Amino acid sequence: MKKINIKLTVNGEQHEMAVAPAERLVDVLRERLGLTGTKEGCGEGECGACTINMNGQAMLSCLMLAVQADGATILTIEGLQNGLDLHPLQTAFLSESAVQCGYCTPGMIMAGHALIEQDRNPDETKVKTCLANNLCRCTGYEQPVKAVLKAAREMRRETDV
Amino acid sequence: MNVALKYEGYHRPGDVDQTVDILTKYGNKALVIAGGTDVLPQRPGRNNVGIGKHLVDIAHIGLDYIKEGKDCIHIGAAATINSIGAFPLFSKMPYRVLSEAVACHSTQTIRNRATIGGNLCNASPCADLALPLFALDARLVIKGPKRERQIPIQDFYIGANLSALDNNEILVEICIPFCEQKAGTSFLKLGRQHTAIDMALVNVATFFTMNGQCCDTVRIALGSVGPVPFRAKKAESILAGKLPDKENIQRAAKAAAEASAPLDDIRATAAYRKKMVVILVRQALENSFRRYEV
Repeated sequence: MKKINIKLTVNGEQHEMAVAPAERLVDVLRERLGLTGTKEGCGEGECGACTINMNGQAMLSCLMLAVQADGATILTIEGLQNGLDLHPLQTAFLSESAVQCGYCTPGMIMAGHALIEQDRNPDETKVKTCLANNLCRCTGYEQPVKAVLKAAREMRRETDV
Repeated sequence: MNVALKYEGYHRPGDVDQTVDILTKYGNKALVIAGGTDVLPQRPGRNNVGIGKHLVDIAHIGLDYIKEGKDCIHIGAAATINSIGAFPLFSKMPYRVLSEAVACHSTQTIRNRATIGGNLCNASPCADLALPLFALDARLVIKGPKRERQIPIQDFYIGANLSALDNNEILVEICIPFCEQKAGTSFLKLGRQHTAIDMALVNVATFFTMNGQCCDTVRIALGSVGPVPFRAKKAESILAGKLPDKENIQRAAKAAAEASAPLDDIRATAAYRKKMVVILVRQALENSFRRYEV
C-alpha cells in the first residue's frame, strides 16, 4: 500500500506527513497529531462526535480520508480556546450544564461553532438543525441548544462593543 | 489507523479524461470517491472494507459547479448537496422540489460533504435527490473511454444498488431542463427521525402543469418502495387531461400505491409503506396543485 504525502494546517500549525489511503482524518488527528479532543463514536456518520471544521464548514472526520483533506485548513476543539481563555461556546456549554460525560461535547461545539461563524444571530430552529448530526446520550439536547444560543449572544455582544 | 479499511491504492486524477483512464485501467477494482459519506461508513459486519480496491478521488476534477446554461441548469456530479440547497434558482418553483429534497437528506454536516453524484450513483432505491430529478425530467451526462452519452434519469437505475454506469464510466453532470410553462412541484419524505442514517420509508416527488382547467403534464416519482426509484406512469396517466379534483387525485394516489412493490424491513412493513404511498402521493399532488395556482 503506497503512502501519499499530504499537507494539513491544523489549528494554525502546518503539518506534512505520509499517510496510507485507508487512514481517515480522525485517525490522523488523534493518533498522529495527538489531538484526542476529537472523538470517534460510531464511525458511520451518525453520532457526530468526530465533527471538526474544515475550510470553514462542519464536517465529520470519520467519513473523510486524510488524503482527501490534503491542503485543507482544519480546526479542532483544541484550536478554539485562546491561551487560557475559553471560547464563548466552551464557556456557555459549562454554564448551561450542557456537558455530562463529555464525549459528544467537542463535536457539538464544533458543529455550533461553524454555525455561529456564519450566522451570529441564529434562531432556535437553526441551532437544532445544526446539531441534528450530534447525538448525546446523557444530558439531552435542550442544554446544548441553549448553550449555542447563549454563545451566539455573547459573541454578538463582543462584536458590538 | 482504522483496521477495517483496506484500500490498495489512492488516485487523484486532475480531469475527467484522466479519471476515465484510471477507471479503465482498474476496472471493477476501482472505487470512485467524492465526499466519501457513502464509501466510508463502518457498519457491523463490514470488516475488510475495500480490500484490493483503488480509490479514485474525483473531488479535484472540476465537477463541483452549478450553473445556468441556455436551455438547462447544469449541476456537476461532485457538487455538494448543501451547495444545491443554497443555489438561488432552486428556491423558486418548480425547481424548489430539489431544495426540499436537500433539506430532507441526512443532516447539514453530512450534506457539507456528500455530493449529488454520489447520492445518484450509489443507486439506492431511497436516494432523496433522485426523485426531484425524476420530477424535473433531468438528463445525466456520462463519460466513458470512447464517448460521452446522455440518458434520462429514468434509464439510470437498473436494479437495487445498480446503475447503468459501466465500470469505466463516470457520471459527469446532471442537466435539468428549464421549465417553459408554469409548474407546481413537491417533495415529501416519510422517515422515523431526522438523523444521518435515517433513510426514507417512502419518498415522493411530483410535478404538475395545467392546460385550462385540466391537468397537462403530471409526473409522480416514488422512492424506497421498489428496487429502484421510478415513475408511477399509470398513476400519471389517470390525471392527464382530467380535472385535478379530489376524486381523481385519490385515484392516482391509489394507482401509485399499486405500482409500488415495497419490502418488509427493519424500518417498516411493506403493507404500511403501501398505505403511506397513497397518503404521500395525494399530499404531494395537492401541494403541487396549490403551488401551481399561486
